[in-house]
Amino acid sequence: MATLAMTTLDPQSRAARRGWSDLTIRNAFIIPTIVFLIVFNIFPLLYSLGYSFTDFRASTNAPANFVGLANYRALLNDPFIWSNFAITAKYVIVSVTGQVVVGFGVAMLLNRTIPFKGLITTLLLLPMMLSMAVVGLFWKLLYDPSFGIINYALGLGRFEWLSDPDMALYAVAITDIWMWSPFVMLLSLAGLSAVPKHLYEAAAIDRAGTFYTFFRITLPLVAPILMIAIIFRTMEAFKTFDLAFILTSQPSAELISIRLYKMAFQEWQTGMSSALAYIMLIMVVGITNIYVKYLNKVKER
Amino acid sequence: MRIRVAGLVAGLAASLAYSTSAFAQELTIFWAEWDPANYLQELVNEYEAETGVKVTVETTPWQDFQTKAFTEFNAQGSAYDMVVGDSQWLGAASEAGHYVDLTEFFNKHNLGEVMAPATVKYYAEYPSGSGKFWAIPAEGDAVGWSYRKDWFEDPKEMEAFKAKYGYDLAPPKTWAEMRDIAEFFHRPDQNRYGIAIYTDNSYDGLVMGVENAIFSYGGELGDYATYEVDGIINSEENVKALEMYRELYGFTPPGWAKTFFVENNQAITENLAAMSMNYFAFFPALVNEASNPNAKSTGFFANPAGPGGAQFAALGGQGISVISYSENQEEAMKFLEWFIKDETQKRWAELGGYTASAKVLESPEFQNATPYNKAFYETMFKVKDFWATPEYAELLIQMNQRSYPYVTAGEGSAKEALDALAADWKATFEKYDRYKQ
Amino acid sequence: MAAVKTTSEVTLNRLAVVAVLIITIIFLAPIYWITATAFKPRNLATTIPPTVVFEPEISPFVKLFLRRSQLREQPTAEEYAEAPWWERLVFDGGEKIVRDGKGNVQLSGYPSRFMNSLIVAISSTVLAVGMGTLTAYGFSRFKVAGEQDWLFFILSTRMLPPVVVAIPMFLMYRWFGLNDTHLGLIILYTAFNLSFSVWLMKGFIDEIPKEYEEAALVDGYTRMEAFFKIVLPEAATGIAATAVFCFLIAWNEYAFALIMTRRDAQTAPPFIPSQVGSGLPDWTVIAAGTFLFLIPVAIFTFLLRNHLLRGMSFGAIRK
Repeated sequence: MATLAMTTLDPQSRAARRGWSDLTIRNAFIIPTIVFLIVFNIFPLLYSLGYSFTDFRASTNAPANFVGLANYRALLNDPFIWSNFAITAKYVIVSVTGQVVVGFGVAMLLNRTIPFKGLITTLLLLPMMLSMAVVGLFWKLLYDPSFGIINYALGLGRFEWLSDPDMALYAVAITDIWMWSPFVMLLSLAGLSAVPKHLYEAAAIDRAGTFYTFFRITLPLVAPILMIAIIFRTMEAFKTFDLAFILTSQPSAELISIRLYKMAFQEWQTGMSSALAYIMLIMVVGITNIYVKYLNKVKER
Repeated sequence: MRIRVAGLVAGLAASLAYSTSAFAQELTIFWAEWDPANYLQELVNEYEAETGVKVTVETTPWQDFQTKAFTEFNAQGSAYDMVVGDSQWLGAASEAGHYVDLTEFFNKHNLGEVMAPATVKYYAEYPSGSGKFWAIPAEGDAVGWSYRKDWFEDPKEMEAFKAKYGYDLAPPKTWAEMRDIAEFFHRPDQNRYGIAIYTDNSYDGLVMGVENAIFSYGGELGDYATYEVDGIINSEENVKALEMYRELYGFTPPGWAKTFFVENNQAITENLAAMSMNYFAFFPALVNEASNPNAKSTGFFANPAGPGGAQFAALGGQGISVISYSENQEEAMKFLEWFIKDETQKRWAELGGYTASAKVLESPEFQNATPYNKAFYETMFKVKDFWATPEYAELLIQMNQRSYPYVTAGEGSAKEALDALAADWKATFEKYDRYKQ
Repeated sequence: MAAVKTTSEVTLNRLAVVAVLIITIIFLAPIYWITATAFKPRNLATTIPPTVVFEPEISPFVKLFLRRSQLREQPTAEEYAEAPWWERLVFDGGEKIVRDGKGNVQLSGYPSRFMNSLIVAISSTVLAVGMGTLTAYGFSRFKVAGEQDWLFFILSTRMLPPVVVAIPMFLMYRWFGLNDTHLGLIILYTAFNLSFSVWLMKGFIDEIPKEYEEAALVDGYTRMEAFFKIVLPEAATGIAATAVFCFLIAWNEYAFALIMTRRDAQTAPPFIPSQVGSGLPDWTVIAAGTFLFLIPVAIFTFLLRNHLLRGMSFGAIRK
């Protein structure tokens, strides 16, 4: 399944004597990256793992005291934290599903002979070229009940998108879908255009229905790249911070990253926030692992 | 060749010497990115003209000011010599040794009397009542109110108001009057609403707003010396005050659930509300016709009194502190000596800064300089502030968590919210061993 | 039968074109609105119904580049007459330009931060894509013990919320003296993007038939020559696609740009939304900053659009 190693060079050949050996090349290509990632990721990770067992506060120079698992215990017993996690789960599901439906749908539409396809595709990518903070700021204005253009355009009167506790989270998700569907669209488009045309022709000859063609030919072939898109979007959605923080302050939309930010940079409970980060990390690694396993399975088919 | 090298070395040495001496003649003040920082830059330009010491005011956006300042303190970086920091930071920054102790400087210049007493108490002293000072009151600020004079002075409105409530329509003297006026002007069908208040719970917006009610209702947040909270934060006055705040929320424009100084100023410029709570520091934008089309018809009043006649307002503003890790502390102290002079404070006020100097505040020139200076003067002698202990942010977030659902969604009751808050605060103080002292 | 099918196909295609148009309009409406606001006079920025026809103004861009503060006293007629055109625009907006002790006009943070953004984003993109391509090639063509685990490790570096690594990173950077340097941010963004770059590039390189290289090796090329002369050109589209994503992420990064920099290396994203100094946002200036900041990425993406499409499909599907 994984790529097989290439046939090695004949050690006696001229080329082999002139250049580096395969082993050297492999090491020279891979090791720097791994070392680099270890230094700049593992090191801070270990650091915060250490903090997570202490009452360290980065705002003071007071020495940290070892508190064992107290931080973890306190967090797992905090009802506010649990509700933050539940909110985040809901957000990830709504937002990623929305992005996949919209992104993949648009890709299906674009996967035809459409005039100005290149230009339209580039234009559709514009939302994800903006920074999250700016998107948050402008969407807050767009959603404004008194002078926002969304209510005006949709004729919704004074609908309170961001301050209705039941709506706030969805409003944030809608913004996220607007911003990141193009990403899913781009990857899906790539997947779709790689489906060999003769498969469709064969299906047409067999008089296969649209549904059959879609579920039996299109979807399975696009699935691997769609999975990559989903993995990256899930990871990002789980970490969503700027956007939600700027848009709304409803407790019903307080994502775990927002709580984490407050704990780390407003309260300066560095130890406690490191512990929370670890709990989050374990969850993301778990979820991603399932995805990756599934991805590999899909690829094998 | 050798000569050339020697010349090069000499030149290098000279330029090094020059650059170090130039360095000693420079001071950097760190503040948030807003107009007062620009006014301060103009003020310190005059210091440069007088002494040759170049002072730069460096800024960062408000929402990141706290984070950035403390990250920098923690790194013990010498990039900034002074910081104009929030009053709530005093505990965290002094206990951690980030600020230079200014007690001696303070007593030598008798600043306890030169500056308005409330500003000394909240911008400079920590712990409360200890006589130790960590900052010089620099930018005084508190919450006041702006209102639509044209709406208030419309004869038809005045008549209707009198008929309905039995007294004259005028800037409110009490919270009860303010409630009536808010109710009176609250007309959603005309896109006009009663009142704009702070509700943002991402940092200290909502809490500042609620404090205005609590303090004027005669309540307190707790005993700042003994950390006693039960029976104080959830006192009867505070319950009434929080209920009033919730009631006012009913008269706010639609979607008023994440609002702070920007939204509240917009409530006036966009013709949304009759009255709007805001820091005095943000009022200059309201008298500027380029930014407020209603500038001519915008008036100002001080935070009204509660039912018992008490009248207080929530403190904003900052004091200027010398950072312990600065390499130019002596220069910084010299600068502060200049900064506290009466002439400097007077000039500071002229440029647009909100001086805390009692003498300047009391002068008629100051009080007549702008439509809001009088209200500012009245307010600065009756301000109260939030906790300044190092764990203030935890207290703040707990207060947000408990009061926000009640104020904006009517969940539970004011009593329940404040009882729960008292328990949270007590647990937090226990966690930090505050009761042992 | 065939004729019927074609007719319905044509109808379907027309419907698709209409749907695409509608979706494009919906997606672009906010962008259009930001762009329009960047050229509006301040008093038209928040009108309802929105102002569509207006005389475009340059003043938001002038203001964006200057450090300004509220006017407290109107300038005298003489001062106004003597002021250059750009200063008059600022006066007209009820503001004045902040000057330093020598009377020099002070610029806002925008131009220098914009330059920093360019330096940091370009360098880190080159590094991330370069290293990512080499590593992807290594994983694709050679046997690596525990390959799947390494790849998962590389992916996992994207999982931790940045807020948390920020503090240890900050302390580590202080140790290395990397705080507030371009190099520091470049390294950081390279580390962010490497995982994405390795994963995408591995997909692309896996698709390049090994037979191409083997033929070259038989012809007497060394492995390195084969890599540079055969594999890289084949992977060009993939590299372009990856570069676009890496550039986008580095260009818009916010949290670390804020914490790790002070004055020398600060990038633009934290600055753009902060134009609320007087307590009232000037939406036109924020929009102008956003608009200018969008141009480089938009151009970059547009130039690489064909690569982007072809490139993505290249790495998409395993045979």
